[in-house]
Amino acid sequence: MRRVVVTGLGPVSNVGTGAAAFGASVRAGRSGVSPITSFDASGFPHRNAGEVRDFAPEELVERLDTAEWGRSSLFAAAAARLAVADAGLDPDALSRAESGSVMGTTSGESQIIERLTEEEVAGGWESLSPHLPRQVPASRLAYAVNRELGLTGEAMTLATACSAGNYAIGYAYDLVRSGAADYMLAGGADSVLRWAHAGFFRLGAVAEDVSSPFDRDRSGIITAEGGAALVLESLDGALARGARVYAEVLGYGLNCDADHMVSPNPAGIAECMRRAHANAGIKPGDVDYICAHGTGTPANDLAEATAVLDVFGDSPPPISSVKSMLGHTMGASSAFGAIASLIGMREGFLPPTTNFSTHDPALGGIDPVPNEARPADVRIVQNNGFAFGGNNAITVFGRVS
Amino acid sequence: MSSTRAGAPVLAVTGWSAVSPVGTGAAGFTEAVREGRAGGADVSGMFDAPLPSDRAHAIPDFRAADHLGRKGTRHLDRSTALALVATKLALESTDAAVDDDTGGRVGLVLGTTAGSIRTTSEFSRDTLVEERPYLVNPVMFPSATINCPAGRSAIWHGLRGVNATVAGGQMAGLNVLRYGANLIGRGHVDVLLAGAVEEFSPHMAWGHRALTDGYDVPLGEGAAVFVVEDADRVRARGRTPEAEVLASAFGTGAPEDTARTLEAGIVRALRLAGVDADEVWGVATGEHGVAGLDGAEDAGVRAALGDGPVRVRVKRLVGECNSASGPFQLAALLAHHRSDPGLDGRVAVLTSVSSDGAAGAAVVRGHRLPGPSAPAGPHGDGEAVA
Repeated sequence: MRRVVVTGLGPVSNVGTGAAAFGASVRAGRSGVSPITSFDASGFPHRNAGEVRDFAPEELVERLDTAEWGRSSLFAAAAARLAVADAGLDPDALSRAESGSVMGTTSGESQIIERLTEEEVAGGWESLSPHLPRQVPASRLAYAVNRELGLTGEAMTLATACSAGNYAIGYAYDLVRSGAADYMLAGGADSVLRWAHAGFFRLGAVAEDVSSPFDRDRSGIITAEGGAALVLESLDGALARGARVYAEVLGYGLNCDADHMVSPNPAGIAECMRRAHANAGIKPGDVDYICAHGTGTPANDLAEATAVLDVFGDSPPPISSVKSMLGHTMGASSAFGAIASLIGMREGFLPPTTNFSTHDPALGGIDPVPNEARPADVRIVQNNGFAFGGNNAITVFGRVS
Repeated sequence: MSSTRAGAPVLAVTGWSAVSPVGTGAAGFTEAVREGRAGGADVSGMFDAPLPSDRAHAIPDFRAADHLGRKGTRHLDRSTALALVATKLALESTDAAVDDDTGGRVGLVLGTTAGSIRTTSEFSRDTLVEERPYLVNPVMFPSATINCPAGRSAIWHGLRGVNATVAGGQMAGLNVLRYGANLIGRGHVDVLLAGAVEEFSPHMAWGHRALTDGYDVPLGEGAAVFVVEDADRVRARGRTPEAEVLASAFGTGAPEDTARTLEAGIVRALRLAGVDADEVWGVATGEHGVAGLDGAEDAGVRAALGDGPVRVRVKRLVGECNSASGPFQLAALLAHHRSDPGLDGRVAVLTSVSSDGAAGAAVVRGHRLPGPSAPAGPHGDGEAVA
């Protein structure tokens, strides 16, 4: 079994595109939240989202015809292209190697489904644009990555909702570890959707202005979007080519609450943490920082904190939520969490939980790294991802010295 | 091209089920395959919305409550209902222990194209046509998300192991076998339900018409689910699998290179399985009646395997079932093994291609059913097959 490392990061986000811009924003606690422009939100009481307003796929992808692909696929392809550049990989060498992609998503190309629905409402079923149905399959997220980069290995899209980015990293890790692949692009992508904004709002889960994870007065998520990709390769390969190594993937854990479709279960989440620790060969005391799922809903943050206190005891490591800045990027969110964590590990800081004002006594002694990034020596990171359907996924990264 | 080399286990199939236009359960599906019975039903009364055709390979009389009871089945989207029934029947068909004690080590990997596209679209529609855009039905919100069938199935059956949804479209059957083999091989789970589900709806029907313009390809629906475990562990415990997925391999290329991508996948999967091309009795393809893609698949199969193997085209029976196609192809191979004792221990190949340039294959060894459920007679003799 080979050791597996992350050598490239490709964030396409509402706080910056590319590892440098994204890292600087996360460190500065910048917000990517703004009034919705991708659909008419005037009828919604809560009208903010984390749109990537400056997303210009044609400037980021080199091979894809952007007219043939949906927004989420383009997020995925653009993120992967950036990650490869960040890794300093020769694109030709990459496409000749055993390489592929795994992308996570919550809603795939639902924006295309919304467009078709608009056409049906306006003009009936006969009026649907004939070129759109072929853009609907969510499998196209990973195909977009392989096509953009000329990868010939497998392209797999894991649609395990809001923990999907971690599922993708985990699977890519296994493929590189076993030798089935030499390079894998792993991450996630999703787009802001009118129907999802409506659904979360109807559940009472959308915050009015910003998301305030772990705050006593937290009121919900901000729906958001983006693409996040990581380059995984073997440690030996990375060292041989003199690559910059962000971190080693130590392992991951997956399980299912099998309890409720939308409410998180602290016992299931705690079990997932234990599985991740066992798979990574670490103990709770080894973890220096937890990158939270931290959606900012009352239910998630309570369940997550409860599980953390159960697994780590009364004085857990610092746990912060980058969703306070980005909003909830759904299937991309745990990949964004991984990217933020690895930049923090490399540069020596913990990403903050912004918009924080009041400690919630129900969350015990958790330390959410309130409002400002904190200098820290981070050796091991636990990156949480939870989802509808009780789909829990946690990845663990370690610094390579 | 990626493949199950480097340590992924041989998967034992220790149970399976199908909910299909031609039969329900492994026995019902097997009977339909043995008889070569094709689907096709009047679908004009299924929905309020218009359909492009009054007939399709749908299952208009499918009712989740017939299998699951009325409690908890009223607000299910169709994909979730199909998945719940298929997973229930699969669990009933296996001798793997699935209970409260083992539930944490039992998982589900379910393939899809994009979840219940109808539910997503109707949810989106409500944001346009209701008085306020947020006056959507919150009960249906989870169903609008792609992983609902897998999540609800885990809740229904108490499956606390890995729960994953693979959006593979035409490649979903190969994807779930591949992903499942990795999860079992890496110790993330012991027993997996692996399959796929696809629903019939006006949305699917109109989309399908656009995708198959100029061809007469019936749209189908359904689910097929297999109980898979590490074959070595199954045998070590004195249990006998009905089939083994020996290896799989698939990759991506330019769409115009699909035949070559598929050929390479078949060749590689055979090599990993340690099987020669002339040992292969049959090939279950995803051919569905659209010339270009069928031509590529046929060319890839012939290049790798020659003209010898029997061609099993299950879409002639169940219609185009998108992500459920691969699982139905596997089910059809197992149905042949159940029906023909002469195939005992022999090897078949399953192939899939997608219009996006992905292609690949799995190699499957089928066995006679052990014990009282052994096949009643040779292939095609008309006797009942248990």
